[in-house]
Amino acid sequence: MKSWLIKYFAVVRMTWIQTLEYKANALVGTFAIFSGLFIEFLIWKQVFQAQNINEIRGFTFNGLMVYIFLCMIVGQLKSSWATSMEMIDSIRTGELNKYLIRPISFFTYHFMMFIGHNSLFYIVYTIVIILFPILIPGWCFHTKIQIVGFIISLGISIYLSYTIYFCMVCFAFWFGEVRSLVIAYNIANSILSGQIIPLRLFPEGAREIIFLTPIQYLVDFPVSIATGNLPIEFWIPKMAMALLWCCIITITGRILYGYGIRAYGGFGA
Amino acid sequence: MVMVYEHMEALVRRALSLWVSFFQNSLTRDMEFKANFLGGLFVDLVYYSVYFFLFNVIYSYVDTLGVFSRQDIMIFLVVCYLADTCDMFFFSGNIFSLNQLMVKGELDFFLLKPVDSQFITSLRKVRAYALANFIILLALLIRQIYYYPNNIALINISLFILSFIMGILLWYSIDFIIASTCFWFKNFSVSGWLSHEILKFSSRPDSIYTGFMRKILFSLMPMTLIASVPTRFLLYGPDWDLFLWQLFITIIFLFSSRVVWHRGLLRYESASS
Repeated sequence: MKSWLIKYFAVVRMTWIQTLEYKANALVGTFAIFSGLFIEFLIWKQVFQAQNINEIRGFTFNGLMVYIFLCMIVGQLKSSWATSMEMIDSIRTGELNKYLIRPISFFTYHFMMFIGHNSLFYIVYTIVIILFPILIPGWCFHTKIQIVGFIISLGISIYLSYTIYFCMVCFAFWFGEVRSLVIAYNIANSILSGQIIPLRLFPEGAREIIFLTPIQYLVDFPVSIATGNLPIEFWIPKMAMALLWCCIITITGRILYGYGIRAYGGFGA
Repeated sequence: MVMVYEHMEALVRRALSLWVSFFQNSLTRDMEFKANFLGGLFVDLVYYSVYFFLFNVIYSYVDTLGVFSRQDIMIFLVVCYLADTCDMFFFSGNIFSLNQLMVKGELDFFLLKPVDSQFITSLRKVRAYALANFIILLALLIRQIYYYPNNIALINISLFILSFIMGILLWYSIDFIIASTCFWFKNFSVSGWLSHEILKFSSRPDSIYTGFMRKILFSLMPMTLIASVPTRFLLYGPDWDLFLWQLFITIIFLFSSRVVWHRGLLRYESASS
């Protein structure tokens, strides 16, 4: 266990050093969140003003903005599409060989790389999230337990998201070019996970379908905990369900990888 | 005067024949990787669907956003997608890789060629699959116009086409200026992401922007001139002041893209700079 930790911590540290060289990523990421929030602010302001209402499906205007703001942050933190592209390339070009002849797991190595790459985002967004309730109190993290719940559910969301991407990456063993699949998932996920509009505002039919999938645990679940939209008695059952999804998708990924590695030629596509 | 005209004509002919060669090369390459071709279509289909869904959700809570009704917004979205498809077809494959060309020093190959460097770096790769999208979206736009409750006059359509072309040129200029800043930052790998985030303002109807922000988005950061203004001409008829303003801004931004490019080239230090 100790050697496992030392080995993969070295990967996180290595990517962390690389990431520090590209600080512009964090700047553009922060700009993306605030510009996105600003656009949503303008759209929903018009909706609230035009209809002359104070609430839409339980959301006040300020409550909605806080929700969207946190959704955008969580959405960026859990998205590992850039790492997925590298993994697809390593399968296509035969670079995967180096993972096969070394005592290192393709899955864990890239997961640690993803954590390392995102580390700068974690620091910047943690500062933003800490500052947020101080500057604008009363809209999120009302109790300490909400902070704990948010951190745990965010961890689950990041892992779950990575395993979904990993399953898609595994299709590269058979089809070679699956980048389109990852990009399409990424685009669809940005809307369907509630990153731009809360799931609660979706039509009933669409929501029922989404609730049958693990998508609801990616963004909506952690943010609902942070904003107090999800009563505390639902946290444990929902977390258990999210963990079950993590297990199911991890096992699916392992099966796909196991079959895929047999189909893998070990040379550039 | 005749000499100048003949010179200009020869330049345009040469540029056109070069672009046709670029297109043929790109098409041949794209056809070799059919999965990429189909994948591109699939991604765009998902992109269009989710944004239609997004606006459907918004319009389930409101009847109009400013002047844009639900039917108007559907036409606006098709115009946005068309602008995106044109950018994909002509420019995006090239501009996206500009930073890499600069970092690896591969830009040398283009600078040594007897052709305008901005022309070749902006247009050498054509994403042929976007042509299929363009045809589908155009058919969709024609259908939407046909079923639009109000009469759309020929002058609206003519102005829309001109305004749409100016919108594409504006999009290109902004994207190219942002990508060209890599000469100053040395390695600006997230320029594509930054462009995408700025251009996101163009994919929302201009009626949501008010006050100072509206002024900015009509001038310094003219995102509303890319899709909203052409849609306005198409649906609500001519506004000559706005049309002339769009023309003026387009010329300014095209000129700026040239200035930034040439200034940037002066800082370029070739391989591994």
